[in-house]
Amino acid sequence: MTLAEGVQLVAFGILVLMMVGSALGVVLLENIVYSAFLLGGVFISMAGMYILLNAGFVAAAQILVYVGAVNVLILFGIMLVNKRQPFAPVSQAWIGKVATGGVCAGLFSLLTASVLNTPWAISSETPIGEQAIVEIGKHFFTDYLLPFELASVLLLMALIGAIVLARREFIPDTEPGEPETEALQLPERPRELVSSTPVGDGDR
Amino acid sequence: MLGFLKQVGDYAKESFQAAKYIGQGLSVTFDHMSRRPITVHYPYEKLIPSERFRGRIHFEFDKCIACEVCVRVCPINLPVVDWDFDKTTKKKTLKHYSIDFGVCIFCGNCVEYCPTNCLSMTEEYEMATYDRHELNYDNVALGRLPYKVTQDPMVTPLRELAYLPKGVMEPHDLPPNSRRAGKLPQEILEESAGAEPKA
Amino acid sequence: MNQGIDLQGSFVRLLTELGLPSGAAKALWLPLPMVVILIGATVSIFVTVWLERKISAAAQQRIGPEYVGPLGTLQAAADGIKLLFKEDITPAKADPILFTLGPAIVVIPVFLSYLIVPFGQNMVITDIGVGIFLWIALSSIAPIGLLMAGYSSNNKYSLLGGLRAAAQSISYEIPMALAVLAVVLMSNSLSTIDIVNQQSGYGILGWNVWRQPAGFLIFWIAALAECERLPFDLPEAEEELVAGYQTEYTGMKFGLFYVGSYVNLVLSALIVSILYLGGWEFPVSVSWIADLIGVSETTPWFQVIAASLGIMMTLFKAYALVFLAILLRWTVPRVRIDQLLDFGWKFLLPVSLVNLLLTAGLKLAFPVAFGG
Repeated sequence: MTLAEGVQLVAFGILVLMMVGSALGVVLLENIVYSAFLLGGVFISMAGMYILLNAGFVAAAQILVYVGAVNVLILFGIMLVNKRQPFAPVSQAWIGKVATGGVCAGLFSLLTASVLNTPWAISSETPIGEQAIVEIGKHFFTDYLLPFELASVLLLMALIGAIVLARREFIPDTEPGEPETEALQLPERPRELVSSTPVGDGDR
Repeated sequence: MLGFLKQVGDYAKESFQAAKYIGQGLSVTFDHMSRRPITVHYPYEKLIPSERFRGRIHFEFDKCIACEVCVRVCPINLPVVDWDFDKTTKKKTLKHYSIDFGVCIFCGNCVEYCPTNCLSMTEEYEMATYDRHELNYDNVALGRLPYKVTQDPMVTPLRELAYLPKGVMEPHDLPPNSRRAGKLPQEILEESAGAEPKA
Repeated sequence: MNQGIDLQGSFVRLLTELGLPSGAAKALWLPLPMVVILIGATVSIFVTVWLERKISAAAQQRIGPEYVGPLGTLQAAADGIKLLFKEDITPAKADPILFTLGPAIVVIPVFLSYLIVPFGQNMVITDIGVGIFLWIALSSIAPIGLLMAGYSSNNKYSLLGGLRAAAQSISYEIPMALAVLAVVLMSNSLSTIDIVNQQSGYGILGWNVWRQPAGFLIFWIAALAECERLPFDLPEAEEELVAGYQTEYTGMKFGLFYVGSYVNLVLSALIVSILYLGGWEFPVSVSWIADLIGVSETTPWFQVIAASLGIMMTLFKAYALVFLAILLRWTVPRVRIDQLLDFGWKFLLPVSLVNLLLTAGLKLAFPVAFGG
């Protein structure tokens, strides 16, 4: 075994442990904030897997999109909507748990069966490594042109939509003609404007 | 369409204006970097307090007649005057006198009103202690001669800005007998004394 | 194109000539650049802290650190030692695991980003294909650490500061990535080495800052916001939030945030100098100098001098930018959070989009000047 192979093996082991451990944590932990942070761990170890598979660009994209955007968004969601509510015990909750367990076990056995039945063959092609970006670009502009363009137009629309939404000025809740309701007004004494007060009051 | 173009043009103009102002600010900051620091290295260098500096109050026990004017003019009746009436001389004899500098606001009213001038302001301002009760000075502590910056061999005394020669901003390395800007008070008095008989 | 000096090749050859197997020689070489960069990055903290304090002092007509070491150069070391020996307090109701992890997650990606910072033709830890994209990806991890620190401190100021920091770095990441994209469009490569090589040949006139002035400004503003430097330091705005997400931290955990912010500042300055100011290139082209003094560009002594001067050049450009950042700190007042987000989303994002489109158009129109 050469040095590179040894490093790869050890890294693979660590990544697998990290990935499976944090994935289990996401599902099993009670605290939803822990789950969200551990989800980031899962994404990062997946990025590590991509690096082991010689796909550096996909790894970086994985970190940027999933860790940097999706996971932060999830965390934002949790932290901004963190209303503590008393947990009302549901009667016959065991039915749901059993059903979830059944679905999970079924999915797991299905995946196991398909993994065991697939004839896994290691590709004999040499990985392109550094040239991967060029290859990906070529594929984007030939055989995957339509999905790529659709996705980019969608993202551009979202970007411009975000700018338009952000640039829009204050939108009043009430229609222009409609009088303001009493409930929304502050109980405050109406103030006189400076210009409407009589001048020279203090002299007298 | 034209309205939109005008909007974009105005926006660009405003951005350039903002950039220009930030640039001006940067040049001001940059200009400040070429100026010499005005730092006074405090424990090693000290500014000389001005003539009318209101520091710790000095008290002369023997001059005091225990009239308690200082107590009455004090905004918080701070000085404590402890006296006995001596029936033979029909005069008050002062026993103790104290001022708590933890409470004093150094307004100088007591000094102003004292009929015998037994109270005076000093230029001493370093009164920090570990215990605030130590700030309660009795007549012995009040009678101590004040510390002078100019007489401390460990300290380089520096002149304050108003006492520097005209155009000089830097108190370090001044020639020894350099004159402050403007006329001294006594010179103004002399001039007015010389001018008065003529008028 | 001259390939510069091949340090790795020379090192391995030297060791194999001494009788080591080439595999062992390569294994010995592997940690060397990493250690050098790690030490360099750590030393850059001391330099930057000293510069920050001295320049701030000069801008305010003060003296600054003076007594620790000559001209106060060891002040940062003294501060670091103080932080090391301080008691490490975890607040009673804080979450101890996340509280400890937060600063680490903030610091690690910053140091990892030094992987792609080149100081010369071969003076880079790895010239990976994704290059600058790796830096963008890594810098997007930091908000998670900030959120972690803010949440686990169990303090409302910390939480608000953490949320602000995350919101800020997410909204400024997009204009920054778009500005980088415009540069990448011209160099046809994500690799930092290629980006610098594309700017070489014409001396100072070839630098990207002339072709991408808007991109340069957008990137610099976004980089300041990412580093939470004034005028964008509102996650730590003392007047409103005590110290933001750092409020509950003491000792070396606080020190890690401190280290992270300064290393990030130097890193951003280095990246700006690579993307826009021609990296290790001189203001005058190297081949022109070689012709002038009449030596071949591949002469060993000339290469060694050019390479070491190139390192100096990169650092000089980076520190000039750090100086600008410090000057800006004492010039521009802090923006409000709504102004910050407005500026990011309503100004920088459209401008950077237009800049990208303009670059693409110019590239099609003038392939000679904008990278064919």
